[in-house]
Amino acid sequence: MKKVSRILLLSLVIFVLAGLPVMAGGGKEKKEASYDIAAMSWDEIVEQAKKEGTVTHYAWYWKEHWDKMAVDFEKAYGIKATVVVGDETSNFNKAVAEAKLAKGTIDVMNIGGKGVKIAFDENLFYGPLKDIIPNSKYLDKNLLQFQEGFVTKGYFIPQHRNQTGFAYNPDKVKNPPRTWAEFEKWIDEHPKQFGFNDPNKGGSGQSMVHTLIKQLAGGLEKYEGDVDVVESKVADWDNVWNWLKERKDKIVFTSSNADSIVRMNDGELDLIVAWDDDLLNKMKQGVIFDKVKMYIPEFGLAGGGDTFGIPNNAPHKAAAAVWINFLTDQAQQQAMSDGVGAYPARDDIKGTKTNLTTEDRKYAIPWFPACYKKYMIEQFTKQVLMSK
Amino acid sequence: MQKLKKISIVLFVVFCLIQLLWIGAPVFMAVLWSLVDVDTPWSYPDMFPKKLSFSQWSYAWNHTNLKRAMVTSYTVATLTSFFTLLISLPTSYILGRKKPRGKRFIETVLLLPIVLPGMVIALFVGRIFTSIGLVQSMGGIVLGHILLGIPYMTRLLTSSFESIPQDVLDAAQDLGTGRIRMIFKIYFPMIRLGFIAGTIFVFIKSIEEFNLSFILGLPTYETIPTMLYTYLGYNFHRTYASIISLILTVPNLIILLLIEQKIKTSLTPRSAAGKG
Repeated sequence: MKKVSRILLLSLVIFVLAGLPVMAGGGKEKKEASYDIAAMSWDEIVEQAKKEGTVTHYAWYWKEHWDKMAVDFEKAYGIKATVVVGDETSNFNKAVAEAKLAKGTIDVMNIGGKGVKIAFDENLFYGPLKDIIPNSKYLDKNLLQFQEGFVTKGYFIPQHRNQTGFAYNPDKVKNPPRTWAEFEKWIDEHPKQFGFNDPNKGGSGQSMVHTLIKQLAGGLEKYEGDVDVVESKVADWDNVWNWLKERKDKIVFTSSNADSIVRMNDGELDLIVAWDDDLLNKMKQGVIFDKVKMYIPEFGLAGGGDTFGIPNNAPHKAAAAVWINFLTDQAQQQAMSDGVGAYPARDDIKGTKTNLTTEDRKYAIPWFPACYKKYMIEQFTKQVLMSK
Repeated sequence: MQKLKKISIVLFVVFCLIQLLWIGAPVFMAVLWSLVDVDTPWSYPDMFPKKLSFSQWSYAWNHTNLKRAMVTSYTVATLTSFFTLLISLPTSYILGRKKPRGKRFIETVLLLPIVLPGMVIALFVGRIFTSIGLVQSMGGIVLGHILLGIPYMTRLLTSSFESIPQDVLDAAQDLGTGRIRMIFKIYFPMIRLGFIAGTIFVFIKSIEEFNLSFILGLPTYETIPTMLYTYLGYNFHRTYASIISLILTVPNLIILLLIEQKIKTSLTPRSAAGKG
């Protein structure tokens, strides 16, 4: 009997060990790319892309939109685009985990606020792409050089612009606050009806605290060009933390961008900070009533946009470049704006179905450098969330 | 006596009502949220949705990763159950029948994955698997799930092996039964219940496992729980979360009920007497 069980165990171990590499995809070998798209003409890049025949793009939103784009892309170039819609953090974890491999599995990645710093700290991306992608010249010049306060040096190609604003329920808020004085008065008169998310959990909350810093700690100009936090410049941020602590019983801190929207739909909050594209998307999904209104108060809220990047070890760099160029074509940008309500990254077309019009956007403000944003989030946690 | 009987009935009814409310209310809310019409959101101050439809189900089915996640989840759970069973059978046989030295210690070590928090295991396993190229692969996820399934399967199979009366085995041997015949005619029929229970446990544990699937599989392999996490976290979407919760719960309930029925049938006197 002992012999039988030993044989059984041994054969099982051999079976499992033999099967693992196959299940892990270890049997497939990828062809090493031996070209540099920076040294090729656009026609050569397109020709090479067609030879590659496939591109893998990692995103974390708009599944339906990407799928439509992929169908059109295959019709136009005969290249199959596979878009994996996962989670922003997981996508970056995967890119970081693969960074040391000669060949990764990601050709194109969406880069949002969370990813910019990781991208540069870990030297994840190939570039600059600005001079490789022909559509770059039509795209938002600012977003082509800066993202979330970071100098991106043309490594990332703008995909769409987004903006934070105040969203409100017009049935309950007849005259939403537009000036700073009106805003402070509104919060005092409507305790627990204004909310924004914990800045650790999303950009709309970060934008609100960023605006408070602008308003209560002497504007944003003084931070321009800084790559590290200058202690003397953040000395008066205590005004912001004190302002928040005094109103801690009147302001609701939500757990995410989406949570703020859901709480307004449930009637708990009447005025929230939200992303324009996120809100429109939630309206289309039936998550929030469609009577919701949005605006940017006169004291400003930040905006920016998401971009595309190509990892250093992307296996199909030429196909990735052609896919990015396709997504930033006029027709595709218009389709994106009409379909998902995102504001186009191109300067030569306007978003027609967005929540915030071009007129609304005159109060939009740029982000301060990323080093301050990181410090702001840490200090918010320490000074506001952890305080009694 | 009559009064005591009445009190018992009242208490029983109250207990049933509480149970119904405890289990029924969340399921009812999930069903209601999943049926909210996409063009008529369920908003304050409405007590109930104004319009119900399958529009969100249709959207979730056609435009999210739901189908892919279901295929991944059920493939992983099936492979996990199969391999866990294969690995656990010899171990359980040795522990249950041979009583090796240090049996208690081995059993404790085997139970460790249940004692440690799931995320802690996932992080360490993820680290090891990354270094050997097993992350973002079906094999890696299955292997991770097997690690979590082994304690359940081994425990149940060990108990089953222990409960086989030595007399039966001795009698079979005395009558000249061969080893292979013993395995199929005595061991397997007598550990059948442990085998079924272990498989259900491992299958359901694998279907519901989040931590390992999140660390080892995402974003290449999305499972139903990791998808649910997406809609409960950063991209909070109550309707999709309800749909996915129901999809996660209902097949498991059906499997559980079917298997329980099977176990009951196995335990009837007729089948126990070997005439079933």
